[in-house]
Amino acid sequence: MLVTWKYRPRNTFIQRLDPRTRLIFMLCIIFAFTIPEIWDYRIILPLFALSLTLYLMARIEWKDVRRAWIYIFILVFFIVGLNGLLSGRGGPSSVTNLPSPVVFEVPIKIPFTEIGWDVPVTVSKIWFALNQMTRMITMAILAIPIPYTMDPNIYGTAFKRMGASDKVSFTMDLAFRFLPTFARDFTITMDAQRARGYEMEKLKGGIPTRIRKLAPLIIPVVMQSTVTGEEVIDAMDLRAFGTRQRTWVKDNLKYAPRDYLILGIGVAAFVSCCVLKWVFGIGEYFVPDFFMSLFV
Amino acid sequence: MNDNSTWAFGTRQVVYGAIGAALYGVLSWVTNIFPLPAAGNITFRPAVAVLIFFSVAYGPWVGLLAGFIGNTLGDALSGWGFYWNWSLGNGLMGLVAGLVMSQITDFRAQGQIIKAVIYGLIGIAVGMLFASLTEMFTGGIDFNTALFGYFTPAFLGNAIVTIVLLPILMVAFAAVASRRGR
Repeated sequence: MLVTWKYRPRNTFIQRLDPRTRLIFMLCIIFAFTIPEIWDYRIILPLFALSLTLYLMARIEWKDVRRAWIYIFILVFFIVGLNGLLSGRGGPSSVTNLPSPVVFEVPIKIPFTEIGWDVPVTVSKIWFALNQMTRMITMAILAIPIPYTMDPNIYGTAFKRMGASDKVSFTMDLAFRFLPTFARDFTITMDAQRARGYEMEKLKGGIPTRIRKLAPLIIPVVMQSTVTGEEVIDAMDLRAFGTRQRTWVKDNLKYAPRDYLILGIGVAAFVSCCVLKWVFGIGEYFVPDFFMSLFV
Repeated sequence: MNDNSTWAFGTRQVVYGAIGAALYGVLSWVTNIFPLPAAGNITFRPAVAVLIFFSVAYGPWVGLLAGFIGNTLGDALSGWGFYWNWSLGNGLMGLVAGLVMSQITDFRAQGQIIKAVIYGLIGIAVGMLFASLTEMFTGGIDFNTALFGYFTPAFLGNAIVTIVLLPILMVAFAAVASRRGR
C-alpha cells in the first residue's frame, strides 16, 4: 500500500505557484551557494531571510513538520555544527589554513586506550560552524515544505515539463511517491524488531559485526520493496506503459506573473552570487572583525 | 531471474530505479547523522549496499537512476542541499556495479556473490573517485585532501558496508525471487 506525505491544499501564495517555479527556485538557491561556493555571511544571511520568508508564507502547521524539524535540528546543530567546530572540515580549506586564535581545546581520547589528543577550537572554526549551519538551514527550509504543499499527482508532470524525458520523469514521480511509503515501512520494521528484543542502540562488536546486525532492519524493507516493484510493474504493463509517449493527465501547468517574479528572484540570486564571487571576488570564507573581537 | 539485457530501459528499470532511489534516499537520510572521521561532509551510509544490490539485480540504468536520484533525495531531505558531483558519483557507483547484472544467474552461488562484490567495489572506487576529484574544482580542495580526506574514508566506509551486507541481500533476494517464480 502506498502512503503519501501529509499534503493538504491550502490557499496560500506558495501553493498557487507553479510547481516548476518552486523546484527551479530551490535549485537556484542551492546552486547559488554550491556552484560559486559562497561562504560569506553577508550573502548567506539575505538568502536565509528570503528562504525563511517563503517557508513562513507556506503556512504549514507545526504539528505536521515537527518531526522533520527535530531531525534537521539534531543533524544541523549536533552533528554538522559539532563536526565543523571540531574539525573545520566540510567547507573551504581556508577555515583551517587561516591563522586564527584558539578559544579552547577539547580533549579527545580513544576509548579503552591512552591514545588521545587535544583538538583546538579556533575562532575560525566557530564562525565556520555558524555559517555552515545557516547555509544548511537555508537550503532545508526550501525543501521541507515541498511534500506538505505540493500535490503528489503533479510531481511527474512538473519534471516532464521541465524537460526530463518521459521515463525519467516517471521514475522521479515514482521515487517521490515511494519515499514516504518506505520511510513508514522502515519505522514499522524497526518497531517490530524492537518488539522482538532487537536493540539498535546496543549493537556490540567490531564495525563489520555492527553492520551485519543492521540486516534485520534493512533486509525486510528491501525485500518487501522488490515484491512491491513486481506488482507495480504488472499494473503498469497492463496499462501498456512505455508503448507510446505517456499522456500526462495533469498537463495544465502555466506560469503566472507571480511565477515569473519568483523565478526572477531565484535567477537573480544565482547570477548575483556567481558575479560577486567570480568577478568581484566577494563570497570567500573569512572571519569578520566584529566576531573576532568577541574572542580577542 | 534477470532478462540479461544489460542496457534495456523499460518498465522494470523505471520502477526499480524509482524504488532503489527512494530506498537509498530514505536510508541515507536516516544515516546522514553519522559523519566519517577526517571527511567533513561525507557520511557513513549502510544504504550504499542497497544501491549496489539494486544495480546488481536490475542493471546499470537502475543503478545510475537510484544512485543519482537517491543521493539527491537523501541530501535534500537532510538539508545538505544538492551537490551534483556527489549525486553523479553515486550514480556512477550504481552504473558500474550494474554491469555485472548479466553475469548473475544465481544469487546464492558463492562465485557470483564474490563477482558482484568485486563489481560493487569497482563501482564505489569509480564513483567516489569521480566525486572526490571533482571536489577539487567545486570545493577548491587540493589533490591530497581529495584523495585522503574525501576519497579514502568514503571508499573504505562504502566498501565495508558492501562486503558485509551485499551477500546477505543477495541470498535473501534469491529466496524471495524463487518463491515468486521470476
